[in-house]
Amino acid sequence: MKLKGQHNFKTTPDVLWDKLMDADTLARITPGVSRLDSKGEDIYEAIADVKLGPVKGSFKGELSVLEKLEPESFILNIKQNSKIGNVSAEVHIFLKPITEEETEMSFDGKAKLSGLLARTGQRVLSGVANTLSKQFFSAMEEEVSNASLS
Amino acid sequence: MNVKINLTINGKSYSDEVDSRTMLALYLRDELGLTGTHIGCDTSSCGTCTILVDGKAVKSCTMLAAQADGSNVTTIEGIAQNGNLHPIQEGFKEKHGLQCGFCTPGMVMLAADLLDRNPNPNEQEIRHALEGNYCRCTGYHNIVESIQYAAEKMNG
Amino acid sequence: MTYIGKSVKRVEDKRFLTGKGRYTDDIVLPGMTYACIIRSPYAHAKITGIDTSAAEGMEGVVAIFTGKDIAAAGVNGVPCGWQVNFKNGDTMKEPPHPLLVADVVKHVGDNVAMVIAESREIAKDAAEMVEIDYEELDAVANAAKAVKDGAPQVHPDAPGNLCFDWELGNPKEEVDAAMDAAHHITKLDFTNQRLIPNAIEPRSAIGHYESAGDKYTLYTTSQNPHLTRLLISAFVLGIPEHRVRVVAPDVGGGFGSKIFHYTEEALVVWASKQINRPIKWTAERSESFMTDAHGRDHVTTAEMGFDAEGNIVGLRVNTLANLGAYLSTFAPCVPTWLHGTLLQGLYTTPKINVDVTGVFTHTTPVDAYRGAGRPEATYLLERLLDTAALEMNMDPAELRLKNFIPPFDGVEQEGYATQVALQYDSGNYHRVLERALEMVGYDDFRKEQAEARANGKYLGIGFSTYIEACGIAPSAVVGALGARAGLYEVGQVRVQPTGKVSVYTGAHSHGQGHETTFAQVVADKFGIALDDVEIVHGDSESVAFGMGTYGSRSLAVGGSAIIKSIEKVLEKGAKIAAHKLEAAEGDLEFAEGKWTVKGTDKSIGFGDVALTAYVPHDYPEGLEPGMDFSSFYDPANFTYPFGAHIAIVEVDKDTGSVKLKRFIAVDDVGNVINPMIVDGQIHGGVAQGIGQALFEGAIYDENAQLINGSYMDYTMPRADDLPAFEIDRTVTPCPHNPLGVKGAGEAGAIGSTPAVVNAVMDALSPFGVKNLEMPLTPERVWRAMQ
Repeated sequence: MKLKGQHNFKTTPDVLWDKLMDADTLARITPGVSRLDSKGEDIYEAIADVKLGPVKGSFKGELSVLEKLEPESFILNIKQNSKIGNVSAEVHIFLKPITEEETEMSFDGKAKLSGLLARTGQRVLSGVANTLSKQFFSAMEEEVSNASLS
Repeated sequence: MNVKINLTINGKSYSDEVDSRTMLALYLRDELGLTGTHIGCDTSSCGTCTILVDGKAVKSCTMLAAQADGSNVTTIEGIAQNGNLHPIQEGFKEKHGLQCGFCTPGMVMLAADLLDRNPNPNEQEIRHALEGNYCRCTGYHNIVESIQYAAEKMNG
Repeated sequence: MTYIGKSVKRVEDKRFLTGKGRYTDDIVLPGMTYACIIRSPYAHAKITGIDTSAAEGMEGVVAIFTGKDIAAAGVNGVPCGWQVNFKNGDTMKEPPHPLLVADVVKHVGDNVAMVIAESREIAKDAAEMVEIDYEELDAVANAAKAVKDGAPQVHPDAPGNLCFDWELGNPKEEVDAAMDAAHHITKLDFTNQRLIPNAIEPRSAIGHYESAGDKYTLYTTSQNPHLTRLLISAFVLGIPEHRVRVVAPDVGGGFGSKIFHYTEEALVVWASKQINRPIKWTAERSESFMTDAHGRDHVTTAEMGFDAEGNIVGLRVNTLANLGAYLSTFAPCVPTWLHGTLLQGLYTTPKINVDVTGVFTHTTPVDAYRGAGRPEATYLLERLLDTAALEMNMDPAELRLKNFIPPFDGVEQEGYATQVALQYDSGNYHRVLERALEMVGYDDFRKEQAEARANGKYLGIGFSTYIEACGIAPSAVVGALGARAGLYEVGQVRVQPTGKVSVYTGAHSHGQGHETTFAQVVADKFGIALDDVEIVHGDSESVAFGMGTYGSRSLAVGGSAIIKSIEKVLEKGAKIAAHKLEAAEGDLEFAEGKWTVKGTDKSIGFGDVALTAYVPHDYPEGLEPGMDFSSFYDPANFTYPFGAHIAIVEVDKDTGSVKLKRFIAVDDVGNVINPMIVDGQIHGGVAQGIGQALFEGAIYDENAQLINGSYMDYTMPRADDLPAFEIDRTVTPCPHNPLGVKGAGEAGAIGSTPAVVNAVMDALSPFGVKNLEMPLTPERVWRAMQ
């Protein structure tokens, strides 16, 4: 399954970069994620609860950040396992300044699904992925505006 | 967690304690031995578990036993009266509306609900009513005829 | 005849209609435990660790077994029952299919561990607590991709994912020469898509080991319990066959998928001994999707050559057959001997060559599904014919009539020897098509179609004329073709002292109504009431042996075995009657249930003779008491039912949806014992064939995940997708079995699919669309029209 999306933020790439590299912020704004613990440099253990149409599951697994090119891009490697099936994904994330106060965040990647998730979830999944990324972007937006207020 | 339920099944009163997550179909099959109600899928798509709850067709694999508390349940075991086949059962036999017999209880119970709501359904109405129940043996042709037979007989 | 040829209402219906059917999952044994199989979520992965400790500690968990336990116990995998060799003579690749995988899983749903607990719920909860680590590997689901260089390999010892390659018919050069000389060649490339059988009863198995008698009982959803017993005892578990009882009670549909010996059957039997308690396993529907053997899945290129008059001059077929990850029981024979041999169809094609390659992929095993190979053969022939008619601007019905083999009855005229190894028994192919054309009102329809087109409505008519090889099968023939079993049938007739009759058949009824049809035959032959006959099947303890029900064989082979025993009863009965009547045997005649001295009113009834056989006080000297005979019947040839199917569809221009308006089927299944039951078989088969044309098809993603593995995603025909069927019959008796019957179980599924697809193509012809892949979903059809 292809993952693709983009959103413009009223902030600089550096601010976004810091947010994305901060485990606490990420845990707070990523839909479904309830815990994100650092397991070493750029490796996190993640626990998430996700409901996908008819399919609902608790996921546990690893997130790792690769090929960091501050503040332009990085690759997020996701491996999440659950009783309803496993997800592995590799997502390339780009931060591109548009103006001095505006930055485009985009992502492009692929996810592999297995088990019940693939069998019954797949047909609704791209819709769900869209919803989740919208939720992520709007939560990030809030973080960014909070940051600029404080 | 267990819950207490009181219900009538095929004219007989039951008072039981069931696990709150037990589905009605499994309660009927495992606890009461009423194995005429079958389970054919896990997505409430096949209809082989169809029974009547307070006269209405219900897929008993998606209803909790606890939800049936206080209701009047009829299963395939309870539809014949005084040892005589119900006209729907008779229709299925006369018109060869069953082959392997697995979907049959659900089909019969669904037909009972249909004929209760619409005593004179035409072919399209019958086919439409059968939409929630799969049969892999008959191609539905004779099931439709069986229900038509029953309708005629019940309308005397 | 009181019963034969009549639509006698079914004996078995009462129990099914009152909820008293007894299916495997209905059975509860004292002390029973419940198994949940943990299945691979990956199509291809290395198991790097299994931690069962948390699950083992749960209350109510009885035992957990993994692939290591199975390997340590020295238990074999499930075997394949048919061998097809490579063209160069090498044996096909036959990788092991373990009951539980210890190292590398090879398809989604592959068995990894078995959790046994006091209840289904606990077993399922505990299964979720078992931690399994996998290292995911690349996978391939599509046969055409699997044979490419660099494709992920399913088995290390099957290089290139090849199981076998195989060829049949005239030498390739001869066929090439015929095609080179052809006036016109019609060529089609297509996929005959993978189908999931979906009997409404999910598979279930109960293993019950009793230490008292060192005895194993398996209750299972099987179409052939004796074969399962043979395989489980001799090949998988190595336990003595006489200590194993296999019971297939009421079975809720099979359609082929319950022929095969499955891993779960062996697992519950083996594990029952380990825990010394009965174990029940019942599939959830999602497990059925992942583990019931699938059907079809051919990638084919087919070419048919014609001369200027439209006579077929040659046929060339190349097929890649997807066998899945392991060889199911009869898998290799389906795309080869059940497919290649049917490519003569009903036509006089003088040169035929078929080339088939069997391919492993990371998918659920593929095996016989209603029709098994014959629908694939019929589909390619009938699609070629309708396409050729369009290309050559000929009428598709006339093109068929022109190329049909002339009528032959197999008695006065010899059987027809095909280019692809068969000898057809009897046939009158013109008659079925002419009758179907009459029923459809062909000329009127073409006028209606033209008018509708003028009004922007797209009607189409599609033809299919098919033949199948049924009544499977002569043992010596199938033995030569690679079968590892004989395919005879057993029929035992036990006349009880009171003249009531118990019949034990190796055929198995899972919807076919044997308890009625077989009883009709027996009652008529003995001149007794239907009620006085009982048909017993499905239990290895009561039925001596049997090969089961598939390949439309039950009456043609199983019924013939019963007839042999009936003849033995009547022969012995005549001796007893002659003694009692003080007449010569030659002076007696048997009719209406009694032996009569010809030309007199002296007679003795069937019941009195039976009683005499068991109370032999006044009895022929030297004759054994009793009246109980068992026979094996091994057929002399296959039987060859045939027919003509016509579909009429309307395609909605705006949505692409296809409405099946009429379906006409004229089938010839030889003599008919119970027309009502035969009609029912045709209806059901037609519905499944329509399902393939319009709705069904397994979809795997690029990681070989089955993505439509539930009833919410896999579409099967529902009641309002189908019209009332218009069916009729002609009768061309089978010349080589005593009842003259040919078999009716698969006919509908074989003939209907191409008729529907041809009809849609006919409707789409104004759009220049010639070929679309099945299923013909609205999206596919709509896109093609744009």
